Amino acid sequence: MTIDPSRIARFEHGSRIPGWDDAVDLEKDPAGVPDPASTPVPEDLRAEIEAQMARYPDRRSAAIPALYAVQRRYGWCSPEGVEQAACVMRVTPGYLTAVATFYDMLETRPVGRHALYVCTNISCSLCGADELLAALREEVDGDPDFNLRGFECLGACDIAPMASVNGQYVGPIALDEVPELVAQIRAGEPPLPAKQLERRPSADPKAAVHGGGAA
Amino acid sequence: MARPQQELVTFTLDGREVTAPQNMMLADAALEYGDVEIPVFCYEKKLGPPVGACRMCLVEIEGIPKLQAGCSVPVKDGMVVHTNTPRVREAQQAVLEFILINHPLDCPVCDKGGECPLQDKSFGWGDGISRFVDPKRHFEKPLALSPLIAIDRERCILCYRCVRFSQDVSEDYQLILQERGAGTYVATFDGHPYVAPFSGNIIELCPVGALTSRPYRFRARPWDIEQSGSVCTLCPAQCNVSFTVRDERVLRVLQRDHEGVDDGWLCDKGRFAYQAIHVDERVTRPLLRDGGELRPVSWELALDTAAAALKRAGARTGAIVGGETTSEEGWLLQRLMREALGSADLDSRAGGALDLELHRALGAPALQAAVPDLQYADAVLVLDVEPIDDAPVLDLRIRKGVRHGGVRLHVATSRPSALDERAAAAVRFAPGAGGALLCALDAALSRAGDLDGAAAAAGVDPQDVRAVADGLEGDVVILWGERLTHGPGGAEAARALLNVAARLGLAGREGAGLIEIPAGTNGRGLREAGVLPNAGPGLGAAPAEGRDAPAIAAGAAAGELTALYLLHADPLTDLPGRETWGAALEQAATVIAHAGFLTEGVREHATVVFPAESYAEKEGTIVHPDGRIQRLRRAIGRQGDTRGEWSVLAELARRLGTDTGVRAPSMATAKMIAEIPFYAGLSLDEIGARGVRWTERPQAFAFPEAPAGPFGLASPQAAPAANGRLRLGTFRSIWASPEVEASPALKFLHPRQRVELSPADAERLGVAHGARVAVAGDGGSVTGIAHVRAAAPAGTVFLETAIPRDSAAILDGPLVEVWPA
Amino acid sequence: MTDILLLEGIDEPGLATIEGYERRGGYQALRKALRMPQADLVDQLKVSGLRGRGGAGFSMGMKASFLPQGDMQKYVVVNADESEPGTFKDRELMQKNPHQLIEGIVIAAYAVGATKSFIYIRGEYEHQADVLDAAIAEAYARGYLGESVLGSGVTCELHLHRGAGAYICGEETGLLDSLEGKRGNPRLKPPFPANQGLFQGPTLINNVETLSTVPHIVTMGAEEYARIGVQNSSGTKLVSVSGNVRRPGNYEIELGMRSRDIIYGLAGGPPEGRDVKLWFPGGSSSPVLTKDDLDLSYDFDTLAKAGTMLGSGAIIVVDDSNSVVDVCHKLAKFYAHESCGKCTPCREGTSWTVKMVGRIKDGTATPMDLDIMASVQDHIIGNCLCVLGDAMAMPVASMIAKFRGEFEAQIEAARERREQAFLTGVGA
Repeated sequence: MTIDPSRIARFEHGSRIPGWDDAVDLEKDPAGVPDPASTPVPEDLRAEIEAQMARYPDRRSAAIPALYAVQRRYGWCSPEGVEQAACVMRVTPGYLTAVATFYDMLETRPVGRHALYVCTNISCSLCGADELLAALREEVDGDPDFNLRGFECLGACDIAPMASVNGQYVGPIALDEVPELVAQIRAGEPPLPAKQLERRPSADPKAAVHGGGAA
Repeated sequence: MARPQQELVTFTLDGREVTAPQNMMLADAALEYGDVEIPVFCYEKKLGPPVGACRMCLVEIEGIPKLQAGCSVPVKDGMVVHTNTPRVREAQQAVLEFILINHPLDCPVCDKGGECPLQDKSFGWGDGISRFVDPKRHFEKPLALSPLIAIDRERCILCYRCVRFSQDVSEDYQLILQERGAGTYVATFDGHPYVAPFSGNIIELCPVGALTSRPYRFRARPWDIEQSGSVCTLCPAQCNVSFTVRDERVLRVLQRDHEGVDDGWLCDKGRFAYQAIHVDERVTRPLLRDGGELRPVSWELALDTAAAALKRAGARTGAIVGGETTSEEGWLLQRLMREALGSADLDSRAGGALDLELHRALGAPALQAAVPDLQYADAVLVLDVEPIDDAPVLDLRIRKGVRHGGVRLHVATSRPSALDERAAAAVRFAPGAGGALLCALDAALSRAGDLDGAAAAAGVDPQDVRAVADGLEGDVVILWGERLTHGPGGAEAARALLNVAARLGLAGREGAGLIEIPAGTNGRGLREAGVLPNAGPGLGAAPAEGRDAPAIAAGAAAGELTALYLLHADPLTDLPGRETWGAALEQAATVIAHAGFLTEGVREHATVVFPAESYAEKEGTIVHPDGRIQRLRRAIGRQGDTRGEWSVLAELARRLGTDTGVRAPSMATAKMIAEIPFYAGLSLDEIGARGVRWTERPQAFAFPEAPAGPFGLASPQAAPAANGRLRLGTFRSIWASPEVEASPALKFLHPRQRVELSPADAERLGVAHGARVAVAGDGGSVTGIAHVRAAAPAGTVFLETAIPRDSAAILDGPLVEVWPA
Repeated sequence: MTDILLLEGIDEPGLATIEGYERRGGYQALRKALRMPQADLVDQLKVSGLRGRGGAGFSMGMKASFLPQGDMQKYVVVNADESEPGTFKDRELMQKNPHQLIEGIVIAAYAVGATKSFIYIRGEYEHQADVLDAAIAEAYARGYLGESVLGSGVTCELHLHRGAGAYICGEETGLLDSLEGKRGNPRLKPPFPANQGLFQGPTLINNVETLSTVPHIVTMGAEEYARIGVQNSSGTKLVSVSGNVRRPGNYEIELGMRSRDIIYGLAGGPPEGRDVKLWFPGGSSSPVLTKDDLDLSYDFDTLAKAGTMLGSGAIIVVDDSNSVVDVCHKLAKFYAHESCGKCTPCREGTSWTVKMVGRIKDGTATPMDLDIMASVQDHIIGNCLCVLGDAMAMPVASMIAKFRGEFEAQIEAARERREQAFLTGVGA
């Protein structure tokens, strides 16, 4: 009798991590440093990465900037893009993959183009972040354009509960503002302009001594 | 990088005083000098500086409030260490409990069981109880990581040894960690297999059963096997190995860490090609050509036939000796040739004779660097040799020297080298123009002579030569390939090399010198044993000077020689001049071969084939390129009807009227040593398990002296003008060997012809990367897959030799034409 | 006495531009510093008593003095990877007064002889990074940065490096690895960054707030600065107050202020009808305090004596409407998510703790699990490669110690709920 692993109860508890079950493809060649002679790289991508490399004493410091450049171009750190960046940086694509998978903001799978990070750490959750995330999830409801994620502390506990909308910090977001916020994102409009962190004055009353206040 | 200092300090270890070298890591010092094991998982000295990741080695050091990681604390004088207090025990138990949280404990079905550090540590330092009651995680297992390695991610304890090896030792950076935290796992980029020349080392590094050898998995349990130490003879690096033997079969090869040879690493050829010992293709019985076919015969008939044929040929016999021949076999063969047959036509070098004086000058003990010098030198020049193909483990040693900051590396080769990325400067000379390059280097170093002219002849920029010359300061080690001294310009190249050595003051300088990588494993030992047309044992003057390899080919082709004795050599795959050799083998009335595999020349032309012992069956000695005499010991019984080849040679000599007096392999060793003055007094006991560098023994003074230059050098001939054609460069891949082809596990690596071109040439010729191309020279044409490399120098095309089909040996350079096939 | 330095006029329009900053007297401290010998500057930093504002609270002057003298390439690295839950002070400083930070960097770089500096900012702070990039360009244009700062011959190059989302990169050696283009794994220490830091060179690494304070110390003089605050805790400190308070935000206080005055006085305290249940005095990594501790003086030594720490100066207030188990669960999940995975106790201990708290919540735990959980924290503390493991274990241990009764009650309640659900399920 052969055993079908998928029918064994211990495989069902959900602690599996993507990638852990993947074998290599023995048909592929080993992934060494890509040879420029056989790895075409878009000129602007090359220029951007090379400019970053020039800023550091060691070219490898440009790993994160290079991966950002790939992500901007391809929407995620696609294998093709990673190979191109590796070719420019003269490292193995493995080097960049190891880096990419370490950081939360680098996407190693295709994602929606609207990054919507909801902080669900302590301060925000004390102020209703979990409910906010649930409401957004319902509103977005599988829309492939959205990359909605619960995120660790985004450093904006003063506007809890909050979200980072394509890099723009917004909060505190009331649950009844969720439809409006999602609609604005879909329409490409600024999200909840009145609640953007950039416009928020300091909480410290002494800070306003010299007048001015927030614009 | 400075050599480790030997100053001693005394510290207290669990109440006892222990003396150990200062700054040695506590875990090492405790084990080596205090006989106390501090358990470790992530720490492995060979991987470089400790990382302190697994936390298994926590110990108490008085005066420091927190427990310290014993792997990363250098011992200091007066330090007081406790490794067995309740606090330490609790911490170590805690770490083991953490490690075992997600370890499946499937030891009964684990290939590592019984030789598993995690089992040992759990037994020695664990609590035996886990308080973890949640479900462990489970994954598909095992998965292929490569054709050679299986990965079981459940068992992985994330010690990172394997990725550190890939990233920090072999520097291939293919094996990586993905994700982070408890989700971290070992993987490769986008599902590519981890295939690299040294990948197998991660199997041995893994302290659990997460990485296992696919060829070895479930072939034996630790209690079924024995370990038997010997030396790998598959390349000149001569790594020390330990054969895992079960029922007279080699099932595995492990490293046998020797700082002076291999630093504890093996290449995948050395690790997996043992499979070729036990394949059906191997010749294990004497064969005789009968009606055009080789058929198995009795030893008596084979010996009779061979002896009779040799008797007929007498002095009209030529012998070619391959690199895997032991010194004793070589010594016996030269006795057979010189004494029994009266022939001096024997050679162990492929590329033509060199003056005896030059052999002596290049081999002089004062000029020989040792392997560790590659790591500690100020500068290393890699000259006309590709370590990764020609002596793989030295590639790691050079990288180590560069990585630790001390070594300035220069690479001077025709073909782009794997070491280029680590080199301060890389110079590309035209194929075969190594001598011209050395002339230019000599001119640059001496600030005399025609640097520009010599550089032009070598096809390099004089500025680049100057840059190399400027970089060769302090303790310099030159790692050079025998091929430099091949061909008509060989002698001049040797003189130029001696000039460079003289200018750099290498003779007698501690930590500096030359290391020659011979074309064959035991090239050095064979020369010292007298397997040269112009030298007897001990590089003494030969009673009569004979033909060298090309002359033997020509002589046989012309009918002047009627018998050929091929001792572990197939001229068609191993030697240049394939066309002449083809005619020679065709012409010769008798071709006697010792062979493990029926390669082309043997298959088509041998009249008598004696089965060759594999290196696991052999007894004798070989000499490492740096002068270390190493001992081969039998690990298994001889396969099939194979006999000791020493006895075959001695028996043939006896039947031809020369009693060598050799009745056992150790007698051959003793008698050979007695004839080599600079080996005087050596014994197998002294050689032992670690070998002896004869160059360091007092008897080395007896090495025959020779003028060492500087010599006046003739202006080198310019590299041929291409006239629209391409220069032909050849290389022999690490994987181009019959053992690789015969090993089921390694077969996938056995090379097919790849034609390396520069992007400029590829474009000009309309050749696309990956497309099939044809290459034609004066001798013939081959096809292969185009491999366009950005680093390839324009104007030259590189092809593989020593492969059964489409070998570059068929072409005859120096110029070839390339077109899309 | 002055107790507002960093936030003074921070909302003034145009302050983020170089004109706005210069109008306020910006970069005068740099001019003054460049006239001082480097050793005197380091001494001034020591005398000021300024302690690192990132979390560890180590004397900045001491740290600067650890860098070797000599011509080797040295670096200043600014830790702007503000990721400690509850902390958002550096964000406001960088966004609204970037030149204050840049001026501090140039002074510090001059003091230790570093010619190259990097700001490592967390990737999520995109707006702040844009502001800083613009400010750095302005500073180069005005000669405050470059090969010869203000014609003095002192070189100071400054680059902004954006992270990509990893809490561990706030750990200084993890940050250095990340800045070198690797995974942000903390390094084994020693060697310390002062000797072998970025690219193996001696490196001074400080927090944004610490460096933003430097111009003020130079301007007012170290002695004067040292008079602010209390013994061993000199100066002002930005405190980020968040959680269940009515006026969350950054407040600049004089160290030694009574904690109650910060939480209730400045931040307005918990909402109407609620009481403080527990509070983190210095970010989520600090062991928790209760309402009985509200009268503690807010300074390094007092909080240390109380078994906790001032940390990054982030006060998270949890009121009595919340369950300590939920807070514990969030906290453990955060650290398990952010553990880099390099060392065993942290990697395994954090995820084990998450599982244990999860079982308390879902009703499959027993009171013995609490003992195991406490023991696991004990096995993490002090045994890890860096402080991330401790950063979870210490607050978790403090919660178990101070709220054991509530944990046990929750275990019981959750079990009952579970059994009830099971019986209902059987009945249905």
